[in-house]
Amino acid sequence: MLRPPTLASALLAATLLAVVATVARAAPVRTEHVEAELVAERTAIVPGQPLTVALRLAMDRGWHTYWRNPGDSGLPTTLAWKLPQGLSAGPIEWPAPRALPVGPLMNFGYEDEVLLLSVVSAGRGVAQSKTVALTARADWLVCREICIPEGADLSLTLPVAEVASADPRWSAAIASARAALPRPLEGFSTNALGAGRKVVLTVAGKNFTGDPGEVYFFPYAAGLIEPAARQTLKRDGEAWKLTLAVANQRVGEFTRVAGVVTASNGFAGQRAATLDTPLTGSVVAGPAPAAPAVVPLPLAADGETLPLGVALLLAFLGGALLNLMPCVFPVLSLKVLGFAMHGGGRGAMRLHGLAFAAGVVVSFWLLGAGLVALRSAGAQLGWGFQLQSPAVIAALAVLFFVMALNLSGVFEFGRLVPSSLAAWDAKQPHLNDVLSGVLAVVVASPCTAPFMGAALGYALTAPRGITLGVFTALGLGMASPYLLLAFFPRWRTRLPQPGPWMQRLRQLLAFPLYGTVLWLAWVLGAQLDNDAVLRLGLSLLLVALALWAWQSRRGGASRGWTLATLASIATAAVVAWPVLAASTPTEPSRSAARDSGRWQAYAPARLAQLIADGRPVFIDFTAAWCVTCQVNKRVVLNSKGVQDAFARSNVALLRADWTRRDPAIGQALAALGRSGIPAYVLYRPGRQPLLLPEVLQQSTIEDALATL
Amino acid sequence: MILRTLGLALTLAAAQATFAATAGQSAPNFTVADTQGKAVQLSDFRGRYVVLEWTNPQCPFVRNHYNTKNMQSLQQRWGDRAVVWLSIDSSNKSGWDYMKPDKLEGWMQQQGAAQKAVLVDADSMTARLYQAKTTPHMFVIDPQGMIIYAGAIDDRPSTRSEDPPQARNYVQAALSQATDGKPVTTASTTPYGCSIKY
Repeated sequence: MLRPPTLASALLAATLLAVVATVARAAPVRTEHVEAELVAERTAIVPGQPLTVALRLAMDRGWHTYWRNPGDSGLPTTLAWKLPQGLSAGPIEWPAPRALPVGPLMNFGYEDEVLLLSVVSAGRGVAQSKTVALTARADWLVCREICIPEGADLSLTLPVAEVASADPRWSAAIASARAALPRPLEGFSTNALGAGRKVVLTVAGKNFTGDPGEVYFFPYAAGLIEPAARQTLKRDGEAWKLTLAVANQRVGEFTRVAGVVTASNGFAGQRAATLDTPLTGSVVAGPAPAAPAVVPLPLAADGETLPLGVALLLAFLGGALLNLMPCVFPVLSLKVLGFAMHGGGRGAMRLHGLAFAAGVVVSFWLLGAGLVALRSAGAQLGWGFQLQSPAVIAALAVLFFVMALNLSGVFEFGRLVPSSLAAWDAKQPHLNDVLSGVLAVVVASPCTAPFMGAALGYALTAPRGITLGVFTALGLGMASPYLLLAFFPRWRTRLPQPGPWMQRLRQLLAFPLYGTVLWLAWVLGAQLDNDAVLRLGLSLLLVALALWAWQSRRGGASRGWTLATLASIATAAVVAWPVLAASTPTEPSRSAARDSGRWQAYAPARLAQLIADGRPVFIDFTAAWCVTCQVNKRVVLNSKGVQDAFARSNVALLRADWTRRDPAIGQALAALGRSGIPAYVLYRPGRQPLLLPEVLQQSTIEDALATL
Repeated sequence: MILRTLGLALTLAAAQATFAATAGQSAPNFTVADTQGKAVQLSDFRGRYVVLEWTNPQCPFVRNHYNTKNMQSLQQRWGDRAVVWLSIDSSNKSGWDYMKPDKLEGWMQQQGAAQKAVLVDADSMTARLYQAKTTPHMFVIDPQGMIIYAGAIDDRPSTRSEDPPQARNYVQAALSQATDGKPVTTASTTPYGCSIKY
């Protein structure tokens, strides 16, 4: 028969239970947002043997504590031991942290639960058969939207014994925490190369061919690597290169890159590694005190981006308007001519239209992929980047010139190609459409149509899939007039009927193309020098001679004409070689130097100075190869009305000339959310800069100035 | 018409550029309303030393410097020597930590704060302009408008009340050295504190 427990026995039982609990496990301390306790891997301390003890912090959902380098804000957790004689504790062995974004800032820390391990050593002299109390003061800052400094006095009492068994509650967790601690990578080599505002960290394993997944570097020291800057990873053969941004405000010497690198799939199975490697090359702080520069916050950090739908719409409209740009118009005319000439059934017309659209879209994909690849390699490039290369300009000039000669009737393409190829072409009529689509994109690249800038800027900072979508929309927009003509034959009846007039029109259309060649020659002159223009002219002359000779070949003495053709082509190549081989110059281009008057050349320091002086600043991002820019400059910016309006508002005028490659300009554009030109921005004292549309009117400028 | 509407949409969608402000550079100008609603422009103080103090009364690091009277005594000491002290609260209007101008003013008065003005940067634009990261985050600007110190208020990142009096105060050091015509020995440090609530 059971007796009801007396009060005394109940109290006794409760006290016993409490004592047992205390010995076995120091009760966790509960603060406002954290549960904290000390736990040990084994149930006793053995003199002469190290014991792993962990500070266990369990954070409330959504709250975090900090790593040894807390990032942009916060404080590392500290642990101050008070140990009996004969015992000592090592420093905290920090597990790999997580990157925790806070608005535009970045913190490094832990969410949910973390075990911060320390190794406690007991000397051989520690007396046996008694218990010792491991006590420590733990302080941490716990943050969500707000931060709260918390702390606790913790204690763990353990018996001293000759042997100790694993504590079933904690040994597994502590062992796995220890196994996951970052340690040096074995069989891997690392190096760090500083280049201006970037540091490229290379990790390469001899036999490592796997994909490490997402990789992130956490620096031990503050003030060297910008915590919130995006880190980009790319593969280079067997090596993985992680590009890091130098801190905007650098503090202290930057001679080594030391920290923890994490990889979601691991480097040969290792997900967290320590590394410490000397920094080679040279770095400047984001804006170094020695070389003042303006480094804008990356746009992505603002969380203000275009909605996807708007970006796609803008891309589509931009693509459609591209057809009306001066550099595309000759190709447009050619294509319309083609439509006027094509008889053919409905289905055939549709196929022509679709093939052309495919050519356009695929070319845009290739351009987009190339641009994304180069940018992820760290190049400051934007739309139209290919035109910063003199070789591309020269090649385009030759292409336009050959097209023009063809329209003028100097030669026929059919005569150029061997008859077998011509027959194949006749069997593949759609290949011709695809290629003219490609051609249209090639000649369109100098122009950024209105609305394209924002969409492209968006595309280049968005995930790959969205980038693809934007470039597809751009291509479809550009192809849309032909697709409409192909699919709505009734609209085609509005086009004039074919007739002898077409031959004359064809010849007439050669002239815009000759004009384009002149313009490209001018661009080349701005990029290189007068000699380059002469070399281009001579090459064009020889190309014309070659085409004429080839055309004449069939009239008799075939071998002589063939030789003349080959000799001309070879000479043209030799003459043009220095231009094609010229590396892209990076110093300010001559066209900028020629611009004087009220315009000054853009430099980040000059802009910073003007802004600091409280003056409004207008920047014209331009290039010789950008037709839209040239039109805006001549028709609007240099007009008397606009110049007077600028003078009235005491606006400082800066011109950023991107004819040649210039990372400072690329960076400034990126900060504005643009990747291409034209771009026009008005800096207003104490207010947000105002970005103007890409096609300017006098009223646009006046409206903008009215907001000053 | 459509063109212009779309152009406007584009302008609105376009983001703002900002500048990092570090020691050795000229301080970007700004205009922000103070707690009285009066516009305060940095360039108005050309010719004087200016201290910018990023603040947020909800932040324990800030509260520690006010509870210990550390911040107020700095404001008082240098205010008496014609240094312009501007406290800026950049907590975004949409966030938890935002305080209405009268509340902010009331808190400062209760603390016995002695700055020239308390600025309400409710869209965080000025913080972005200076790439301010924490509260407190301190900038000292010389009479020529150059930033001569940027970073932490002192060398003890903590919220313990015993620390501010014992710490090496970087703002005090920078102002003393600069006003004595000496170079500032520590011109940039890593700021500590709560993140600014962008």
